[in-house]
Amino acid sequence: MAKEPVRVLVTGAAGQIGYALVPMIARGVMLGSDQPIILHMLDIEPATEALNGVKMELVDAAFPLLIDVVATTDAMVACKGVNIAVMVGGFPRKEGMERKDVMSKNVSIYKAQASALEKQAAPDCKVLVVANPANTNALILKEFAPSIPEKNITCLTRLDHNRALGQLSERLKIHVGQVKNVIIWGSHSSTQYPDVNHATVTPTNSEEKPVRSVVADDNWLNTEFITTVQQRGAAIIKARKLSSALSAASAACDHIRDWVLGTPKGTWVSMGVYSDGSYGIQSGIIYSFPVTCDKGQWSIAQGLKIDDFSREKMDATAKELVEEKTLAYSCLN
Amino acid sequence: MAKEPVRVLVTGAAGQIGYALVPMIARGVMLGADQPVILHMLDIPPAAEALNGVKMELVDAAFPLLKGVVATTDVVEACTGVNIAVMVGGFPRKEGMERKDVMSKNVSIYKSQATALEQHAAPNCKVLVVANPANTNALILKEFAPSIPAKNITCLTRLDHNRALGQISEKLNVQVSDVKNVIIWGNHSSTQYPDVNHATVKTPSGEKPVRELVKDDAWLNGEFITTVQQRGAAIIKARKLSSALSAASAACDHIRDWVLGTPEGTWVSMGVYSDGSYNAPAGVIYSFPVTCRNGEWTIVQGLAIDEFSRKKLDLTGAELTEEKELAYSCLS
Repeated sequence: MAKEPVRVLVTGAAGQIGYALVPMIARGVMLGSDQPIILHMLDIEPATEALNGVKMELVDAAFPLLIDVVATTDAMVACKGVNIAVMVGGFPRKEGMERKDVMSKNVSIYKAQASALEKQAAPDCKVLVVANPANTNALILKEFAPSIPEKNITCLTRLDHNRALGQLSERLKIHVGQVKNVIIWGSHSSTQYPDVNHATVTPTNSEEKPVRSVVADDNWLNTEFITTVQQRGAAIIKARKLSSALSAASAACDHIRDWVLGTPKGTWVSMGVYSDGSYGIQSGIIYSFPVTCDKGQWSIAQGLKIDDFSREKMDATAKELVEEKTLAYSCLN
Repeated sequence: MAKEPVRVLVTGAAGQIGYALVPMIARGVMLGADQPVILHMLDIPPAAEALNGVKMELVDAAFPLLKGVVATTDVVEACTGVNIAVMVGGFPRKEGMERKDVMSKNVSIYKSQATALEQHAAPNCKVLVVANPANTNALILKEFAPSIPAKNITCLTRLDHNRALGQISEKLNVQVSDVKNVIIWGNHSSTQYPDVNHATVKTPSGEKPVRELVKDDAWLNGEFITTVQQRGAAIIKARKLSSALSAASAACDHIRDWVLGTPEGTWVSMGVYSDGSYNAPAGVIYSFPVTCRNGEWTIVQGLAIDEFSRKKLDLTGAELTEEKELAYSCLS
């Protein structure tokens, strides 16, 4: 007996990330190959024709799991009954732009969308904010949708998490599936802290070992590795002349899938979540932590040792997020 | 015990279709969720930086099934050891362009890629040509790679096949997975013939012919056909870009069904080297209804062809014969 369809909203669906994301969702990458989907796609008026083009292509692809497609420029229609909301809509970062440059535009968008989601979404709707500045957009959404449980509002740092895994796999010339438990702390910005202190690698025919001892290059791990991951978004823009779409869409699927279906035993992932003060990070901001997921809920992995180097970095990114929060609120006044 | 990786080549990998296709391959859509892959990506030197950007993103996505990525502008390196080759590279059709407009550019590309594949691909490499004019590009590739078995060189009409299923599902307001056995005959161009005479829909009371349920022969013989034939242009009009998402998805479907087999009672459409079945011209790449088993396709034989269909099969066959002549004249 087939499962009931799940309604998944993608905002900014006519854009680059949306175009990469919707076929992934329709093929079961996000929720499993046995989970039928109804896709809701929202974009702005100027993108109406392009959005309809995406809908046409989804029909043309004859996806077995895709039960229906709602393509609209009306946020209330888009949000109606949705179980999962992936907020991609916003201003894309262009070469040379800092993420803060786009903040004021996005903050008013997220305030308005908070309202539509709160009124129209299904109970227990899970929200993932992708559009930058992701953490602060998610915070604004949370603040203006008070009846959505704060634990249901997250932002994407899985892209950075996956990038960190990728960098380690390249360094160690090992398959990325054999590396795990990196952590992205804080903001999805250049102040993020990619932390390998608890990461492990399982070489073929060998046991799990700490990444630090296998890499055997603390200097690289504390400098170039960190900056490469922090600045990877800019490096992609430089090479492609466009923002990461493929990898961002894939990470969004990973984020939702692990949240809904659970993380594998012994593995955590990174998610931007509403801080409860864990690890000395102030509450009231959306901060990326290491989390495990079970039965549709995330829990922060507690008790991890934090050295001085890490402490400083974790505090620096928290500081930036607090500043962003202040800036965001000033934009709204 | 994990399977050995399969090497999959995508040419034109830095372009729109390539960008949609590579994450699908890396997630197992093309060969199954348990089949590791090594991606080979080829593009031209002006696209080298963009191609490297795609490789970087593939690394950044941490795909569990992706065991390696070879990104290169060297066709020999790209073709070495590949088990599957998806030839997307070519000139994209722009608003207003006819497919023939891009033929002469693509014919010389496919002649040289034929040589590289023949010399460097793994034995029994399966080839899917996507770039338009797909049938004739595939024919050129076949002609200039004589040691690749003719049956291994195909072109994509699965996109048109899926589009036809989609149109029927929208007309009948049914799930597209309940519609099957449309046929795309002939050329992946505006002369293709989307034929529903043997298509069926799964209903609570069993499988029923599409014609019977639609009850509108005028639509099935008119607007339905032209909608499917011209769908590519309609997408370009809406998006200002060629179909990428649906083309990539159809490429995955084509290869998956070829390699893993079609479901019982179901056929699909593939552009294959014609043996003259159904009186189609032999010696061109012509789309037929096929079933697939053990990695081989077989034309479904014995389907009744009415007069209306006969004319359409012949028309698209005639166009393919003309394209073949035009292609050869470009090469002289």
